[in-house]
Amino acid sequence: MSVDEKIREIVTRIIRKEDIDLNSTATFKEVGADSLDIVQILVALEEAFDIEIVDEDLKSVNNMKEFVTYIKSKVAEKV
Amino acid sequence: MNEMSLKGKVALITGGSRGIGRAITLKLAAEGADVIINYFRRRSTAEVTAQEARDKGVAAHIIKANVGEPEKIDSMFDEIEEKFGRLDILINNAASGVARSALDLDSRGWDWTMDINARAFLLCAQRAARLMKNGGKMVTISSLGSRLVLPIYTAVGVSKAALEALTRYLAIELAPQGICVNGIAAAAVETEALKLYTSEQGLPQLSWQTTPAGRMVQPEDIANVVAFLCSDESAMIRGQIIVIDGGVSLAPIGYTDTKDDEGG
Repeated sequence: MSVDEKIREIVTRIIRKEDIDLNSTATFKEVGADSLDIVQILVALEEAFDIEIVDEDLKSVNNMKEFVTYIKSKVAEKV
Repeated sequence: MNEMSLKGKVALITGGSRGIGRAITLKLAAEGADVIINYFRRRSTAEVTAQEARDKGVAAHIIKANVGEPEKIDSMFDEIEEKFGRLDILINNAASGVARSALDLDSRGWDWTMDINARAFLLCAQRAARLMKNGGKMVTISSLGSRLVLPIYTAVGVSKAALEALTRYLAIELAPQGICVNGIAAAAVETEALKLYTSEQGLPQLSWQTTPAGRMVQPEDIANVVAFLCSDESAMIRGQIIVIDGGVSLAPIGYTDTKDDEGG
């Protein structure tokens, strides 16, 4: 499973929606995620990729597309 | 309390890397205890706190685990058993919660909060008691929200009430094993978590900032009492919840020093 596919699997499973466009400029809130969803997504991604997501970094992440880019950059740092 | 009263003890502090947990970790380390710091997400923060503990001359070990998940608790205690073979002190500090009013609270938010704040202590205490072969101490960190009604604090408040009740039950059940179980109920403590709670919810900060004692409760205020409850000097305190609030719960609307008129 590619990094993109794994991110999609985690996000859709936790938000409980299949039709989420991870390339969109929509925010998590706009696709129906609440604060608990976001925490659970962060925890699941950290475990899946063995990365540490820095909450302060997320302050400059404005939408789903930027979020995926950020996660992929953290995964790339591990390689 | 005697200097280094906890020398040679092994202490697990859940959520021990930052805020109140960090202050407890460093206080127990200063009293001579080797510390096991459980953390949820920030390894780098846990490593910093562990080094601060080591600088006090004790051993420090970090374990990542979401205590809301039973299998993670089991893995954590498997590691403790393997590495240390025993445990003398359990500090149940890790907490989380969904900030919503009762009518907006869904079952996911309820379960998340209860699992981390209340069920985790049950599961940790079960495993810890087996490792406390020569007796031990358990201290739970609660809050005034267990008995007072605070804005959007429903899930956390109820979970803390459960935690306090569990503290009492375990105090009696574990007394024959020489294990003392007590808790602390703190007023708002000046931490990053409090800033998040107040700023995100748009709550007024002023009411948190003063107490009859003249200042907010600090993490170190909690840590000092935890250290006392972990010492032999508190051996006859069982199943009690010690309130640390600078008196604010006794004078919730404020109190000013007024003098009676003569003859009044």
